[in-house]
Amino acid sequence: MVDLALKTLLHDRTRFAITVAGVAFAVLLVLFQVGLFLGLLDNASVTIEHIDADLWVTSKNTPNVDFSHAFPESRVERVRSIPGIERADNLIVSFLNIDLPSGAQEGIIAYALEDFSRWGIPWGRWEGELSDLRRGDYLFLDESATKRFGPFEVGQYREVNRERLRIIGRTREAKSFTTTPMAFMDFRLAQRLNGQTLRGNTTYILVKLAPGADANAVTDEIRRRLPYNDVHTRSAWASKSRSYWVTNTGLGFNLFITVFLGCLVGIVVVAQTLYTSTMEHLKEFGTVKAIGGTNRDIYAILTRQAGVSALIGYVLGAIPALLIRPVVAGAGLKLILQPSFMAAVLVGTLVFCVAASLLSFTKVARIDPGLVFRG
Amino acid sequence: MPVLTAREVVKTFQEGREEVHVLRGVSLDLHPGEVVALEGPSGSGKTTLLSILGCILTATRGEVTVDGVRIDSARPERLPAVRRKSIGFVFQQFNLFPALTAVENVEYALNVKGIRGPEARKEADALIDAVGLSDRRDFLPRDLSGGQKQRIAIARALCNSPAVLLADEPTANLDSQVGSQVLELFRGLARRQNRALLIVTHDPRVRAVCDRVLHIADGKLLPESRIAA
Repeated sequence: MVDLALKTLLHDRTRFAITVAGVAFAVLLVLFQVGLFLGLLDNASVTIEHIDADLWVTSKNTPNVDFSHAFPESRVERVRSIPGIERADNLIVSFLNIDLPSGAQEGIIAYALEDFSRWGIPWGRWEGELSDLRRGDYLFLDESATKRFGPFEVGQYREVNRERLRIIGRTREAKSFTTTPMAFMDFRLAQRLNGQTLRGNTTYILVKLAPGADANAVTDEIRRRLPYNDVHTRSAWASKSRSYWVTNTGLGFNLFITVFLGCLVGIVVVAQTLYTSTMEHLKEFGTVKAIGGTNRDIYAILTRQAGVSALIGYVLGAIPALLIRPVVAGAGLKLILQPSFMAAVLVGTLVFCVAASLLSFTKVARIDPGLVFRG
Repeated sequence: MPVLTAREVVKTFQEGREEVHVLRGVSLDLHPGEVVALEGPSGSGKTTLLSILGCILTATRGEVTVDGVRIDSARPERLPAVRRKSIGFVFQQFNLFPALTAVENVEYALNVKGIRGPEARKEADALIDAVGLSDRRDFLPRDLSGGQKQRIAIARALCNSPAVLLADEPTANLDSQVGSQVLELFRGLARRQNRALLIVTHDPRVRAVCDRVLHIADGKLLPESRIAA
């Protein structure tokens, strides 16, 4: 079968290059912007995903994990007594001030537990002995702090909320959505550092269910016993934390505009070049009709041309997006390009390019085969 | 038994509020193996008649039958099938696909007519051979001369052995020597394959190779001249 669509598409190489470049640009824009956004959102829920808790008890209407509010720590006892719960512990998440050797003051976000080993944080690789955190005024600091606070070493001291703490370990990959460096310390130390708010209080209760326990029944019971708190499953809490940033800041709208513009650029370029190409090849399409072809045959040609442009444009857009990931990581950002997301963009590219070719369909439908007789 | 008949064919176009009568009751027959010229001044209705006989346009009134199929003006969606099966066109401007090689131009026409794969390639090769361009089979149209392009167009028109061949000024863009060669080739192939051939022309050389010459003026056929074959 002679592939008139492909051969005609490749025959005019300049036009083909422009079409493909337009699609590639749109694909790169969408992959890069959405990938960066997903990376940011991942930071918004990264601690929730890593902490080994099935349920989170929060104060009423806490919008996301970083913006916590205090409630009495004794409520954890009411939770622990519920059947079906294997363990429950208080967790403090709180912003604290840190004094730097330069004299500047910065913020850290502290995660404070009595026993970190039970809950799976910090995660990934770290230096230092976690169990030592309970033995004094110590903290672990994430290495991402280097960027904002300057270099630091294990064994150095920093003033946090005017108290002198020793850095006894460093973590990696513990980044918050707000880019505030993360620190890990003992629960009682965090209460003392922010005594005005946290004395006798906690900000969350982490709940691990016993094997086989009914999560809904336990949740209902916690709600009954703690009517002034909220209870979330891990996935619901992660989703709520992420959606806060999407809906309460301009990020979601900004992303929508970026994706919209990216798609628009791709559609306009493909539609414009295919339409111009159709206009220039009207006589050839007329010939297709004169030798017995139908509108459907010509639609198939246009659709194939749009599909090929979409595929090649996608590949040329996706390759730089994948190659740029290490560069982005070097800048302390995450570019998340999951296979499902890449596949969705591929399908979207194909759909949009084929849709763009519809503009030419209307022209083709009206082609008078009699034009083949005109000189 | 004619392979193409037209009876009292009328074609009227609407131009604004005015009706333009392009054909005013044209009747003709074409028989297998017959080569007929259609002459007439510009605006006489030659191309419109060719379009109706080639099932590109439908008549406003009258009856057209091609290869035993009566053309129904009310069912224009059936015209492509008649064109695929029974009609082969040769155009003044050749109308080859510039992105396809000579043999691919012929093979694509076969594909449109429903012949695919090795069978299509074999028939395309045979047709290219029949028009004497085996050594140019893989050339793009831009690398062929006008005469060679028209030969490829003739090979394309012969695809799937249509009963009727219609040519619109096939020699108009060729010099006289090449034009005569192409014409002779076209007539020879049509005769050998027993196809009816109607050539719209202004070229007096065409008249010399035709069995009959039809004259059209103001949308009507004049009494025809018959030339000994």
